[in-house]
Amino acid sequence: MSSETTPPVSKLFFAEAIARALHEAMSRDPRVIVLGQDVGRYGGPYREFSGLHAAFGGRRVRDTPVAEASMVGLGVGAAAAGLRPVVSITYMDFLLLGLDPLVNYGAKLRYKTGGQLGAPVVVKTTAGARGQGVAHSQCIESWLVGVPGLKVVAPSTPADAWGLMHAALQEDGPVVYVDHKRLFPTAGELARDAVPVPIGRAVVRRRGADVTIATHSYMCRVADSAADRLAALGVACEIVDLRTLAPLDVDTVCESAARTGALVTLEEGQLACGIGAEVAYRVREKTGTMRVARVGALPAPVSSNPVLEAASVPGPDEVVEAVRGLLRP
Amino acid sequence: MIRKLAVPGPIEDVEELRVLMWHGGEGTAFAKGDLIVELETHKAIVEVRAGGPGVLRKILCAEGGWEKAGRALALVGDDPADPLPGSTDALEACPAEFDVV
Amino acid sequence: MDALALLESMMLIRAFEEALMRRPDHGFQLLSSGEEAVAVGTCAALTSDDTLLSSGRSIGPALARGLEPGPVMAELLGRTAGPCRGRGGRGHLAQPSAGYFGAHAVVGGNLTIAAGVALAWQAEGRPGVVACIFGDGACGSGALHEAMNVAALWKLPLLLVCDNNGWSVSTPRAEALAPERLSDLAAPFRMPSATVDGMDVVAVRDAALALAAHVRSGAGPAFLECVSERFATHSTATRETRPQAEMAAILARCPIRRHAARLEAEGTLTEALRAGLERDVADTVADALRYAESAPFPDVADALRDVV
Repeated sequence: MSSETTPPVSKLFFAEAIARALHEAMSRDPRVIVLGQDVGRYGGPYREFSGLHAAFGGRRVRDTPVAEASMVGLGVGAAAAGLRPVVSITYMDFLLLGLDPLVNYGAKLRYKTGGQLGAPVVVKTTAGARGQGVAHSQCIESWLVGVPGLKVVAPSTPADAWGLMHAALQEDGPVVYVDHKRLFPTAGELARDAVPVPIGRAVVRRRGADVTIATHSYMCRVADSAADRLAALGVACEIVDLRTLAPLDVDTVCESAARTGALVTLEEGQLACGIGAEVAYRVREKTGTMRVARVGALPAPVSSNPVLEAASVPGPDEVVEAVRGLLRP
Repeated sequence: MIRKLAVPGPIEDVEELRVLMWHGGEGTAFAKGDLIVELETHKAIVEVRAGGPGVLRKILCAEGGWEKAGRALALVGDDPADPLPGSTDALEACPAEFDVV
Repeated sequence: MDALALLESMMLIRAFEEALMRRPDHGFQLLSSGEEAVAVGTCAALTSDDTLLSSGRSIGPALARGLEPGPVMAELLGRTAGPCRGRGGRGHLAQPSAGYFGAHAVVGGNLTIAAGVALAWQAEGRPGVVACIFGDGACGSGALHEAMNVAALWKLPLLLVCDNNGWSVSTPRAEALAPERLSDLAAPFRMPSATVDGMDVVAVRDAALALAAHVRSGAGPAFLECVSERFATHSTATRETRPQAEMAAILARCPIRRHAARLEAEGTLTEALRAGLERDVADTVADALRYAESAPFPDVADALRDVV
């Protein structure tokens, strides 16, 4: 491009936003390293580590064996000893293998040592259904939000993918960074003077007076499609992108829901003990009464069969139906 | 006759892509099969080749620029003297082939 | 560490635990009695450049590493004067500034963490050895295999010390682990290894010194198996399953008596010297108890402190 001045924003793919944040952080801070399967020359399962191996070498961008317990354990241990590792767990389903060092050690380290040690590790993992079957599709972020000491973020745009990665790398404790397979094809703008996205702060993505949809990650796009259809029916949706799941920004959801008077929660994961259950209860605690509906996956595994996959995870139809049901007088 | 060279597709998952490199500039003549432009998706390069002879008349999306599936990337003509239209809306798409590599 | 210091360190652990067992008010404890030679012999091979991680059976490792007995006692009795402010307690003692990175009470849970600490030290070019003491119970876990694999691949400065006391709570080693010798687990990873009598503090120290020298040279990890005896039950809250006759034979293998007898035979240890050591450790333990009991329990208002 031959523009004379640097534009105030640049557009980039979701994976490029992650890679850019990591490149910047690694340039600035020698303690930042990347560990994981296929993160080296291959550049990451979704190219989200592209260019890092060439720029920083194999000792800072290190391919590991396919052994998630040790991948997370190495990251947590190295964090406790002074590094700031980013551990890539290709699919969130595999994070189950690494939960012991993350939950039993990393999340509790500051507390159990009385502040002597902390584990500033970022575990980056990819959730979501996209044709990969029962053990490569799950959105189990709600399992993590009840672990004291653990923070969980889930960007839905390239700008937030960049901003939340920077924020996660500045934390003193472990952060699980959940992205989504269906977000990698998306592109978006990032301001040249962007600053890290504060952890624990939701954002209103779409303004509307009739109903609040609280959601995160790829489901923000599903909510937006549903909102377009509802707009044609005369219903104006406000969409709150939670962005951080632990700690939850209940205030932003409450402010919106208090304005609209109705709240629909939307998640790709299970409804039982889900993000929506937590959001809905905490909003009701603060607002007294609130009309609430939850939308989430069917209580079934997510098949690689495209018919069954589409049937089991929520889409715009389910959101439209939930909103109309909630607003029906 | 002026036609538009559009973002080819559909390509699975791709809503929008980025122009990586134009192979030639405005005024470059090409024959069937010549590589005109390379586009980038989130995970692949899309090579767009001419479906017949023509001249690249006007580039609408520069290298580094973004465009959505189906939208015009450039104007192409048979005759370098044909006047360029003000709008691309009514233009026919020129024949093109593409490979996702 | 000279032979008398080895003896005194083991005597301190034993006396400390005997005193602790008279304070059951803070719940159960995980005792190292019988396994003192493993902790003391291993720590005798470590320097101030090094750090130690351990399983939840951590009183021996912590004291052998030189942590002050008073704060250790305070930690175990839940007092704020402990190095972890009484929050870690039994199973999670830690004082990284004193070369004890810490205990972790999930069986096998500290192995990949230790590999991570070793990775950080290697990345930062630090000279020390990261040692990790774990039980035979951890040898059935995948974590050991995963930790050995990356440590060998990346030549991490990791000294693995298996304190093989023969029991996973009530399950004997033979019913839980297929390998005859646990140090054989290191063979496919081509790391030097040894199996020694874990009741002989000199044998443990000498093997640990040799393997630590290998690790210190930058050549990668090493594996030491110390075959020991657990004198107490798994924890002070679990039931003893071993017959009394068997227990008598086990207790007769006391590593402290064995080392003392050797020193007496060599003429290094006299009756008077031994009595002096006993008085010294008794005084130290009494001071430790006084220190701990004079310190407060945590304030409930601090329950949320240091969570995130």
